[in-house]
Amino acid sequence: MICCKECIDLLFDYFEGSLEQETKNSLEEHFQDCPPCIAFLNTYKSTTTLCRETLNQIEIPDEVRRALQNFLKEHKIQQKKM
Amino acid sequence: MSFTQQKEDKEIEEALVRDLQAGNLEAYDRIAELYQKKIYALSFNLMRNQMDAQDVTQEVLLTLFRKINTFQGKSAFSSWVYRITLNASYMKLRSKKKEPNISIDELLPSFNGAGFQQEKIQDWSGSTESLLFTNETREVIKKAVDLLPEKEKVVFLLRDVEGLSTEKVSEILDLTVPAVKSRLHRGRLFLRKKLSGYFEEYSSPKGEI
Ligand SMILES: [Zn+2]
Repeated sequence: MICCKECIDLLFDYFEGSLEQETKNSLEEHFQDCPPCIAFLNTYKSTTTLCRETLNQIEIPDEVRRALQNFLKEHKIQQKKM
Repeated sequence: MSFTQQKEDKEIEEALVRDLQAGNLEAYDRIAELYQKKIYALSFNLMRNQMDAQDVTQEVLLTLFRKINTFQGKSAFSSWVYRITLNASYMKLRSKKKEPNISIDELLPSFNGAGFQQEKIQDWSGSTESLLFTNETREVIKKAVDLLPEKEKVVFLLRDVEGLSTEKVSEILDLTVPAVKSRLHRGRLFLRKKLSGYFEEYSSPKGEI
């Protein structure tokens, strides 16, 4: 049976779905007997989801958008003069 | 992303690069339209400051226009854009005083001699729903990400937040695929530990009425 340390090292590939069937089976076997690793698995997964959902909602604020537009306009005028 | 979608994106990028290299000024607007949000979001997540992110976005757009003739198409155009964004953000960060990084190893799980978990692991994954959209939770998450050491942070932002593939991230950062995977895994372990401190408090039975 694999130990918890090995189990946690395999988590990444487990979520990627890139483990060999045999390794996947021994991992899932470990989960059946080890509630701490299940808790670890769930919270590892939640961590990724929570962080993604919090950080990928960044929008450009309106004032920044306007500043960027002006910046581009200025730059284009300069380019045309060249 | 489907194969045809990828192929289409690649064609759009290539046409855009040709237009820019030919000095077509309309291509400027299209580049800005396509990339400014990505540039802004990545630099904002690295620096957590609106003014700095705006500066970096302007600088990156300008670099794209000025250096387009040095782009040789050895990597994807978008990888080039991400690389320029990272360089500009790091330059900006370096010019500011920074807190020293904490060691990531302290936050990795600990095991006993036989390789079994030593600490008590609480499963808070079911109780995050109600907390997810509170400002406090958002702040906790942002702070945790800010504390990530740079090497792990950049991989985490590109791969887990931006949603790029492992291969793409390895191209942008010039790292091997296994190196990307290992940094990402360490980054996630670090974040899990940081978030655990917060969520365990809320999901502990003591707190329930
Ligand atoms: Zn275990």
